[in-house]
Amino acid sequence: MVKFFDNVFSYEYPFSAVTLAYYLRYPNPYSTHVLSADTLSRDFDPVNQTLTTTRLLLKRGKLPSSVTRFLPKIKESYILEKSVVDLKKMEMRTETRNLEWEGVLSVVESQTYTPLPAPIAHGTANDDPLRNGTGLADDHTSVRTVVRFESRLGGVQKAEGIASRVASWGTGGVQRGIEAAAYQRMKENVQRSKEGLKIVLHGLREKGVIATMVERRERKVKEMRERATGWGGIWGRNKVEAE
Amino acid sequence: MSASLAPECSPAKEKYDNCFIKWYSDKFLKGDSTTDDCKPLFDEYRKCLQIALKEKGLDKMLDEARRNAEERELRKEQGKH
Repeated sequence: MVKFFDNVFSYEYPFSAVTLAYYLRYPNPYSTHVLSADTLSRDFDPVNQTLTTTRLLLKRGKLPSSVTRFLPKIKESYILEKSVVDLKKMEMRTETRNLEWEGVLSVVESQTYTPLPAPIAHGTANDDPLRNGTGLADDHTSVRTVVRFESRLGGVQKAEGIASRVASWGTGGVQRGIEAAAYQRMKENVQRSKEGLKIVLHGLREKGVIATMVERRERKVKEMRERATGWGGIWGRNKVEAE
Repeated sequence: MSASLAPECSPAKEKYDNCFIKWYSDKFLKGDSTTDDCKPLFDEYRKCLQIALKEKGLDKMLDEARRNAEERELRKEQGKH
C-alpha cells in the first residue's frame, strides 16, 4: 500500500454540522459529476452511539488517470463510501474506494473529522472542562485526508495482463509510476469536495440549522454544569451510589 | 437531495432521506436516541434499490467488494501477529 496524499484542513463550523453536511453534500455546484448517491446500509448502535453508513455513488468521468492508465476508458464509475460517526469519541471516519477493478487496484480516500482543539482554533487555552464535555472547541472541525493506493496483487492474481503489469511494478514502482499530474488532480479533487461541503454548510447556516444545533449544545452544557454543581447533582450522585 | 441510480426508487429514497436528516439532526446528534426511527422507510427504499442493483448486475460487484473488505480485515489482523 502506498500513501499518496496526506493533508489536514479545517472548517469553521461545529463538528455536528459538518457531519450533517457530509450526508447532504450531494448535489452541490462542485459535484455536478456525481450522478447519484444511494444508501446501501445504515446501522445505528445505540449502546456505543455510532452510526455506520454505506453509500453507492455513481460518478461521471473516469477514475484518476493513475488508475485508468491500466484500464479501458471508463465513462462512469461506481464509488463505495463507508462512514462511521462516533458520538462518544466525537469523530467521523469516512472511506471511499472505486468499486470496479477493485481487485486490481483501488484508490482509497480516508478522512477523519474531529472537533478542533480550542487552543489551535482560537489561539487561546480552553480551561473550561465542561465545554463540549471533551475540552474541545465546538465551532471548528478538523479534517485529515489520506489517499492511498491499494493493490491486492502479489499473492492473489485475479486479472491477467493488467494484474501482472501492476504486480511487476512493486511498491516503489507504483510510486514512481504515478505522474505529477495525477497527484495534482488528486489535490484539486480534495479541494473541490472541500469547497462543495462549505457551500452545503453555508446553506445550513442560512437556514438557521446551525444556530439551532449550537443552541441545543449550549443548553446541554448548561444542564451538565447545573447537574454537576447544583443540588440536583448531589441528589443525582447519591442516587447512583445507592444503586 | 441527491438522485437515486434507479429513477423508480427516487420517491422512496426522498422519503427516507428526509426522515433520516431529521432524525440525524434532531435525535442522533443529541446523543439520546435509542432507535433508528427511519428504519421502516429505509426498508421500503432498500427493497426497490435491491431490484435495481440486481438488474444492473451491481449486486455481484457489491458482493465481491464485501468479500475483498473481509479479506483486507483478515490480512490486517494477520499483519498484527
